[in-house]
Amino acid sequence: MLPLENVKVISFGTGGVGPDFGKVMGEFGADVIKIESKDNLDFMRTIGADINNIAGFNESNRNKRSLGVSLKTEKGRQIVRKLVKITDIIMENYRGGVMADLGFDYESVRRINPSIIYLSSQGFGIGGPYSNYQAYGPMISGASGMLSLWAQPDDPYPVGSNSPIPDHMASKYLVMAAIAALDYRRRTGKGQFINMAQTEVAAGMVGEYFLDYTMNGHSPVPMGNRSSQFAPHGCYRCLGNDNWCTITVLTEEEWQSFCKAIGSPAWTADSKFSDMTGRLQNVDELDRFVEEWTSTREPQKVMDILQAAGVPAGVVQRATDSINDPQLQHMGAIVELDHPVAGKRLYPGIVFHLSGTSEFKSTPAPLLGQHTEEICRQVLGMSDKEIRELEAEGVLHVPSIS
Amino acid sequence: MPDVKDGALTGYRILDFADSKGAFCTKVLADIGAEVIKIEPPGGDPGRNAPPFLNYTPHPEKSLYFIYRNTGKLGITLNIESEQGKEIFHQLLKTADVLVDNSHPDYLPKMGFDYTNLKEINPQLIVDSITEFGQTGPYRDYKGSNLVDFALSGTMITSGYPGKVPCMMPGSPAYDAASIHASMSIVAALYMRATTGEGQFIDTSVHETARMGLYPWIIPNYHYAVNPNMPPPTPEVRMGAAIYPVYPCKDGFIRVIALTPRQWDALVRVLGNPDVLQMPEWRDFMYRIGNAEDLYHLMFEYTQKYTMVELFEAGSREGVPIAPILKMSDFYNSPHTRARQFFTEVSHPVAGKAYYPGPPYKWTETPARIGRPAPCLGEHNEQIYCGELGFSKGELADLKKARVL
Repeated sequence: MLPLENVKVISFGTGGVGPDFGKVMGEFGADVIKIESKDNLDFMRTIGADINNIAGFNESNRNKRSLGVSLKTEKGRQIVRKLVKITDIIMENYRGGVMADLGFDYESVRRINPSIIYLSSQGFGIGGPYSNYQAYGPMISGASGMLSLWAQPDDPYPVGSNSPIPDHMASKYLVMAAIAALDYRRRTGKGQFINMAQTEVAAGMVGEYFLDYTMNGHSPVPMGNRSSQFAPHGCYRCLGNDNWCTITVLTEEEWQSFCKAIGSPAWTADSKFSDMTGRLQNVDELDRFVEEWTSTREPQKVMDILQAAGVPAGVVQRATDSINDPQLQHMGAIVELDHPVAGKRLYPGIVFHLSGTSEFKSTPAPLLGQHTEEICRQVLGMSDKEIRELEAEGVLHVPSIS
Repeated sequence: MPDVKDGALTGYRILDFADSKGAFCTKVLADIGAEVIKIEPPGGDPGRNAPPFLNYTPHPEKSLYFIYRNTGKLGITLNIESEQGKEIFHQLLKTADVLVDNSHPDYLPKMGFDYTNLKEINPQLIVDSITEFGQTGPYRDYKGSNLVDFALSGTMITSGYPGKVPCMMPGSPAYDAASIHASMSIVAALYMRATTGEGQFIDTSVHETARMGLYPWIIPNYHYAVNPNMPPPTPEVRMGAAIYPVYPCKDGFIRVIALTPRQWDALVRVLGNPDVLQMPEWRDFMYRIGNAEDLYHLMFEYTQKYTMVELFEAGSREGVPIAPILKMSDFYNSPHTRARQFFTEVSHPVAGKAYYPGPPYKWTETPARIGRPAPCLGEHNEQIYCGELGFSKGELADLKKARVL
């Protein structure tokens, strides 16, 4: 069996956090229904030419069914209310205030389903002047303090990454919260409302630097790839174009192994590098020597030589490196799924390995409204005639290809 | 006594046999009510040596890294490499619902605690082993670290300036990602146990999970761009500030998330409709990425007239997300952070009283909160060993002398 068999989830999500939540709940075995429609598209469907052929959307929306229903019509809201009555969990990450305008905020929902578990995730969280501000991951890293530290000391300003961090951490937190809340409801019968601020997820990932401020009165500055505790500790240029390998020498034993593995060049015997204190004091020079060695070797070679000697080292991987990574292949960490429009594409695989469960499944992301008919018929008991009429009225959306 | 409500996981006991790499996993479970007992070797968790420190003076009770990532836990010492230590561990395992371990896959088996033994001791026990690369496979014995695991996650190649060295993300992102995956797996296994009555073994690999917690889109983004009749897609590169441009303002920097033409129009309004930004080409996202450098020079003259917060608030009014790049102090003092009471006062017996970042969510029925400070080394030995396992204070002293505790 799977942990969340028979658990029903409605996802009103958009972008990263909401959809990724549903994806993982689906992996755990829940039946996840995504509410969407042409007049309220998940914005991730809109960043390319075809709403059904967007990589990021099709990754984060796996393992769920799409109910194409317009929330702008009363009949559409009526249909969703029926579904809400028989669901266990609702998750939404629209801009603050949107769910209340639609009549699907927690207060409205719990009147028709008192034991509902309802999760909201906004950029800044409910309760405060920024409750209703729109937000995206790359904005949240800036507004949480995290981005101010995500730089090299000599960068003119921090740029961090173009990835939507902390979206995919926020969604995982919510999965954990939802299952814990389910377990509490199993024991007590009580549902509840969980309200997350994504800025707080990001801030929590750099908590020790907030303590540096609250306890030492100091606003920390970026350290780039260096550590105040260990050296060598860096990202070194390797053979080829924009190729890099990280190396961290954390103990005296690893330092000895490192020197030997790189062929004990004369500089390694210099007394200024003989202990961690010396290496930290002379880190600029040390890093130049290390890079002399790495720059004539391919990154995978650097990693393999050092790891064989017991020194932590890792390639700065691109997608192609990950796809060819022997450990990821061994773990089944890359899977191919056949999507009706996108065709056969590679995605990250299932990373949950629980000995007492049957194998977790992954199904491709749905086309917009792909499961409208089956949900209306099987879950809501509607007739074909009714479905056709509502489709003609623009209440339901059924795709032409399915 | 204030009326302290239960957390969602109140009643579950977790043995935290992880060092600082897995500390976040049990911290977030303690936030929502689980009883977490951190088990350290007599010499202490190596995380106690991790900077920064209170007053920048290394001390085992003053690592800010350690005291942040171990809030909510009780702390005991135990040397499971000693015979008596093994017996005590055995007794503790019987009382627990969950064991979280992050040693090498061979370590616990070598100590006599492989999963078969653990299951015999306590069939309901859920065991999560967080390892760098997993229980099996060609990299099983490879070593990781904060930086190495982040590099392997696929996110680092996108971090930093084009042409410069890729940049580490602050904190310990790969370990946090692995930890949150372990936390999810554990609550799922607990929920399932109510039906099956049985525990299970969970294999959590930092290498696999860091990608999922940080940037899972990187593989599909790449693979969707592969076209059989075309040259391979450009490899991922650091975009620096091209996609989400950063501009200086009066008191710091802002990051602008203008993706659609409507958001661009809103940005132009925020800056007072300057003529130089009216050229229709600028409304096109791809054009802006291609001409980021030129745009920067046009923009910063206007952004510099305002403060971070002025632009942030005006952006929200007009309909374009603008992020202030806040420093720690700015976020701490932000009126919104204060209104949500995100920072919580915690009183640590050695490091003193201070405000800590709290859990990132509010629960209406079972509050999430920091229930206690991080434990000092062996702080709860007496409570657990004498109070629960029936040792006398004299025996406790002997065990300590024998380096069992």
